Amino acid sequence: MATMTAKDFATATPSWWCPGCGDFGVLSALKQALAELGKQPHQVAFVSGIGCSGKISGYLHSYAFHGVHGRALPVATAVKLANRDLTVIAAGGDGDGYAIGAGHFVHAVRRNADITYIVMDNQTYGLTKGQASPTSATGYVASVSPDGNPDSPINGLALALAAGATFLARGFSAQPKHMVQMIKMAIEHKGFSIVEVMSPCVTYNKINTYAWFKEHLSDVANSEGYAPNDRSAAFDALTREGSIPMGLIYQEHRPTLEDRTGLPELPIAHLDLDGARPGYAAMLAHYR
Amino acid sequence: MIVNSLEVMFGGQAGDGSLTTGDLIAGVFKRMGLEVYTYKDFPSRIRGGHTNYVIRASESKDYGMADAVDALVAFDLEAVQEHIDEMRPGGFVIFDNTSEVVDGALRRDDVTWYEIPLAKIAKAEIGLELVRNTICIGVLGALIGMDSAIVRNDVTGVYKRKGDKVVDLNIRAIEAGEAYVREHFAERPSGYGLQAKTDGDRLIMMGNDAIAYGALVAGCRFMAGYPITPATDVLEWMSKELPKFGGVVVQAEDELAAITMTLGAAFTGVRAMTATSGPGQALMTEAIGLAGVLEIPVVVIECARAGPSTGMPTKTEQSNLNHLIYSGHGEIPRVVLAPGTITESFDLTVAAFNLAERWQLPVFLLTEQALCQSKATLPPFDIDAVRIDRGKLIDDGEVTFGEYKRFAFTDDGVSPRVIPGVPGGMHLAAGSEHNDAGVITENARNRARMMEKRMGKLVAMRDELPRAVLHGVADADIGIIGYGSNTGPIAEAVDRLSAAGVPVRFLQLRTLWPFPEDEIRIFVQGAQHVFVVENNFTGQLDRLIRTVVGPLDALHGVRKYDGRPFRPIEIIEAIQRTAQTGAAMEVR
Repeated sequence: MATMTAKDFATATPSWWCPGCGDFGVLSALKQALAELGKQPHQVAFVSGIGCSGKISGYLHSYAFHGVHGRALPVATAVKLANRDLTVIAAGGDGDGYAIGAGHFVHAVRRNADITYIVMDNQTYGLTKGQASPTSATGYVASVSPDGNPDSPINGLALALAAGATFLARGFSAQPKHMVQMIKMAIEHKGFSIVEVMSPCVTYNKINTYAWFKEHLSDVANSEGYAPNDRSAAFDALTREGSIPMGLIYQEHRPTLEDRTGLPELPIAHLDLDGARPGYAAMLAHYR
Repeated sequence: MIVNSLEVMFGGQAGDGSLTTGDLIAGVFKRMGLEVYTYKDFPSRIRGGHTNYVIRASESKDYGMADAVDALVAFDLEAVQEHIDEMRPGGFVIFDNTSEVVDGALRRDDVTWYEIPLAKIAKAEIGLELVRNTICIGVLGALIGMDSAIVRNDVTGVYKRKGDKVVDLNIRAIEAGEAYVREHFAERPSGYGLQAKTDGDRLIMMGNDAIAYGALVAGCRFMAGYPITPATDVLEWMSKELPKFGGVVVQAEDELAAITMTLGAAFTGVRAMTATSGPGQALMTEAIGLAGVLEIPVVVIECARAGPSTGMPTKTEQSNLNHLIYSGHGEIPRVVLAPGTITESFDLTVAAFNLAERWQLPVFLLTEQALCQSKATLPPFDIDAVRIDRGKLIDDGEVTFGEYKRFAFTDDGVSPRVIPGVPGGMHLAAGSEHNDAGVITENARNRARMMEKRMGKLVAMRDELPRAVLHGVADADIGIIGYGSNTGPIAEAVDRLSAAGVPVRFLQLRTLWPFPEDEIRIFVQGAQHVFVVENNFTGQLDRLIRTVVGPLDALHGVRKYDGRPFRPIEIIEAIQRTAQTGAAMEVR
């Protein structure tokens, strides 16, 4: 097998993102991570949501699915169940994952299918021109909250931890090497892995800028004695006022959805349907 | 004496065992060689609330409800209050008078009353009040002449997993019931009798089970669903059976997840379906549009109930036809199939999967509570005749990247479909408008071509759609159009009118979309009157026919929207009134 490079995961489609958008960093880190893991494009199913970040599926050479707003996770879960040999990745924004898709988010977490979810968090609705998102700060002034966002921001990773997440990491668009590492670990994790990436919107969000994140992010790897298998410590780190933890925040190993449902090793997509015929007739005895 | 024609209704409180008892009696009728139809009329709660279960035995296959109740087994006064008006003169009532009495106008004098302290006997003689249902089987059996060996055999079969003691209790209960009739009602015959015929190789099965079984045989190996009455049976059946065949069932967090999971699995190359009812269907609407534009084959089972909103969850209605045909923003090709019998519930489910994959679009199987939760006798399914046609699926080998185009323009509008994992087939499947290679574009010319490609399937596929079934007298002046659970009552009305010298023909639609306009146009030709029979207020089918065939004086709507299925006499009377046939309609 030839060595893969990030370029092998590039599509010919030009990007629609604004220059300087944090999502560029996510895309290149994802391509790099897949290449370093030796994945081939046909082995990757990539499901994205709707919004600026949702466009990412058009730019990753793979089996890409760009569906309806908020439903990337149910699609990705089913793709994995249908063919467990695939590397399944879902990606979307904070609005897609934590607002319209919040209902699916917690359930995808607790199911623990072996898929990876990348949340590209820019704390705003970019594609509809800058409204408050579920992660926007209270008081964030935007077109639909001219007097300031009245709601409190959602803490997606803490929510996921409460829902039984088995892998939580956070990256930053301006730190590509670190993000590549986080995404690689997430893909290799057996179970549902979340990488939330701080991905600044340079057009609409003038508060949560690259500079702002540099100031507020701190890698848990640098905090002495931090053990990513300590759930309470992870919860403390995620809910502490003032700083935003990044790096590998939490990881544990639990049986995956595929294991728990007793899914056969052979992908369902490759079952021999005609071979099952002899088993059907006997089932009717119950109805005679 | 009326022989081999009887509608029994068990009425009582939910949770008191009417369903088990009814199923048991339905089994006995079947083993006595009769044709059976059952109808559950239960409240949307688990304990308490009036419930009833109707079991009709006759010598005619695929009929629905009878004109009236012949035998009412009333476990309480409420059952009498609710249903005494539905009784046929000459029928009989078995009433538990342990703690209640029937008097006044309720005590109709044109039916025979068998008042028995069932609960008291159960407690005193068997030691368990719960077995009063089984005592009833003994009473009913003795009154109408059920084969007592079959009764004992079936009772044993039902209770044997609970142990010999329970079997013994129930056999004693049967005997107590039979003895009570001998001792007290020897001089009061019921007027009904049974004459056993050959059972033959037949099944007795519920519509939802036939759908689930059909899906399995059709190769469905993925189902996602959210529990909802009256579709939950399908999810339950598949949960039990699918894993044995390597498949998987997911109980989703809501219908939005159920349908998008179904899309995800189908996109990955697995035959996939979901099953829901009106409220869930409403939530699935957006994703169905996605299936249309992404050309993903999905099968959606819609077990319709009375709406809108929560409506009457356990009651029947045909008010979701417009919803299935029109719901969603934008325009997609879709197919709506409607079985009229349990056998067709199997056949059309198989057809749904083949059509979905052949034409790469969403296919709905529309059924209603009065069919999907009803049981009937039927011949075994012809499993050997089932063919799995996966259409232009590329699930192994490889394709050449750059040459392969997922949404390629073709003569029939269907493009070769690779599934994830096939080398070279990488592409974007986007709900945004896209070109043949899957690249998102809003180019005007491409948009027009893509619309024509997708919508053109509806024309290209016409010859492969399940055809309507013509019942009755082909050149009759009077015609009826209907579908689904009304098939049985309409077919019976047609048979009886024709036998009484009023020839009638009935076009049973099985494909509701693309609308079978040619079949309807041909059918209405030469008819003096065409009755459109449906279970809704606005006449959804009637309006579709008018849209297609044009203004038509001959078209009359026959509608029922009280949540209950038609009884054949209601259809017969509607026809008599309008067509002024004047013929006396013998009810039996």
